[in-house]
Amino acid sequence: MTAVIEARGLAKAYGATRALDGVSFSVEAGRIVGLIGPNGAGKTTALKAILGLTPFRGELQVLGLDPRTQRDELMREVCFMADVAVLPRWLRVSQALEVVGGVHPRFDRARATEFLSKTDIRMQSRVRELSKGMVTQLHLALILAIDARLLVLDEPTLGLDLLYRRKFYDTLLNDYFDKERTILLTTHQVEEVENLFTDVIFINHGRVALSSSVEALGGRYQQLNVSAEAAPTARALQPFYEREVFGRVAMLFEGRSAAELRGFGELRTPSIADLFVAKMQGTPST
Amino acid sequence: MNSKLADAAAGEGPREAAPAARIGTASTLLMLVRRELWEHRALWIAPLVVAALMVCGAVVAGLKYHLTHGDMSGEDRPGGMAMFAVMQGAASTPLSVVSLIVLAFYLLDCLYAERKDRSILFWKSLPVSDDKTVLSKLLVALLVVPLGVFALGLLLSLLFTGIWEVNAAFGRVPPIPGWDMLGWLKAEIALLACLIVGVLWYAPYAAYLLLVSAWARRTPFLWATLPPVVAQIVEHFTFDTHYLRDLLVYRTYGIWPTLFGHMQVGRGRAFALGAALDRLNLGAALTDRNLWIGLAVAAAMVFGAIRLRRYRDDT
Repeated sequence: MTAVIEARGLAKAYGATRALDGVSFSVEAGRIVGLIGPNGAGKTTALKAILGLTPFRGELQVLGLDPRTQRDELMREVCFMADVAVLPRWLRVSQALEVVGGVHPRFDRARATEFLSKTDIRMQSRVRELSKGMVTQLHLALILAIDARLLVLDEPTLGLDLLYRRKFYDTLLNDYFDKERTILLTTHQVEEVENLFTDVIFINHGRVALSSSVEALGGRYQQLNVSAEAAPTARALQPFYEREVFGRVAMLFEGRSAAELRGFGELRTPSIADLFVAKMQGTPST
Repeated sequence: MNSKLADAAAGEGPREAAPAARIGTASTLLMLVRRELWEHRALWIAPLVVAALMVCGAVVAGLKYHLTHGDMSGEDRPGGMAMFAVMQGAASTPLSVVSLIVLAFYLLDCLYAERKDRSILFWKSLPVSDDKTVLSKLLVALLVVPLGVFALGLLLSLLFTGIWEVNAAFGRVPPIPGWDMLGWLKAEIALLACLIVGVLWYAPYAAYLLLVSAWARRTPFLWATLPPVVAQIVEHFTFDTHYLRDLLVYRTYGIWPTLFGHMQVGRGRAFALGAALDRLNLGAALTDRNLWIGLAVAAAMVFGAIRLRRYRDDT
């Protein structure tokens, strides 16, 4: 199977700041990949490189195309949604359907109309008259109706309330995602969507801190919860991160087998959010 | 509302493949031009409002003022062509002035506002190349609006003729001498020729405004106007020359003497315009070296605007 995205040594600097500093990763078809990192880690720059919105150094193939030179071709197969506020405020809902249908060969207007008919959004409304949640629904309706192979979402639910966020991801998963499609998603709200991901890429200071499928995480990382008394002996096995919670110590280990650790306390697979915090704090700041 | 969205999520059948129809360049451009007219409604509302005001003015004037002493059938009456041209010229001038102002602001805004409000991220999510996008804005400024203004001017002149005829029927004004079809056609062709030459001659201005719009991170209006003004002042005080001012004056008026064969237009005789239109030197204007230099510069600036839109990243 060929990779949907193949990145090798992506580099990009804004003045003295290295937004991307040799980023390499690959994304297979039919995956939902979380690109996770703190603010200013280079997530958005990486997405912009993938979408051909910014120049960069290094090798990058998206659906076998180079976003720098073949962007026009690429955008027929790729959909993206930057955070909610990018639909033009003057645009009417009916005009949005007409304009996307008028320029996008893979847009199915009937499908978008059907989706919108189940919301409170009226065809004659302008975007500026809609609530933030409704604008997101409208954008989602447009995206669901485009038969694209790669969907890139950059903080798609930023500033939405929990109900809209939940509906957004439910719709995405039930109505959009299938084995031929790939979703690349950045978000701050890791806890909320971590069950969605099949793969995660942690990025920090312009570098990839971790790139793995979610299934493989369980074999590679262990979280051990031990009592304070047992902590010093467990510490001899070199956890890369530890945290004290209510008198117990949570330790994260990389590359230790369950058999090695089981004797010390309660063993579990760390959540992506915990792993993220551990990895970010474990990585030396520059 | 949220439960409805959940229904939307749950109640859909298996997905059908979207038809991957081919969309040609022409229909994409047409769609983009329509999009511009949706967003920048002043482009068509402003000329329409001016036209409506002029029609109202003509009706009121016809009712209020009587012109019984003139005679339009005498020996020195202007040719039909001149009369039509003057009529339509008078109708088109206010429309053109208003449209030029609206167009200047449109061109300055169209590549800047989409970056400012970040809607460029939506437009760039569609499979539309930067050259088509920029070209559609140029088409609006150099083709759609000029032709629209021309058509509206034509419509207005016919309306004015009708209003005049109604007034003439009531004896308030002298009747217009017979309709001269050939003269009318000649007038239309001559006015259209002026329009084409004007559009080609002023294209560098349009391209300049587009370039500034694509380049400026803020206040495109100041970036478009201040540098030429400051440069003229600096030139004046540093070298005591005024090449830049001469260039701008030339780029503003230079083609018209060529087109009109160096005739003096106006000079108290309105119908001199008609005479000038009769002897338009279209060939000389279209083969003018400076017209083509201007077009080459315009093309370079449009190319620059396309390149800037490709990678300008301040979202």
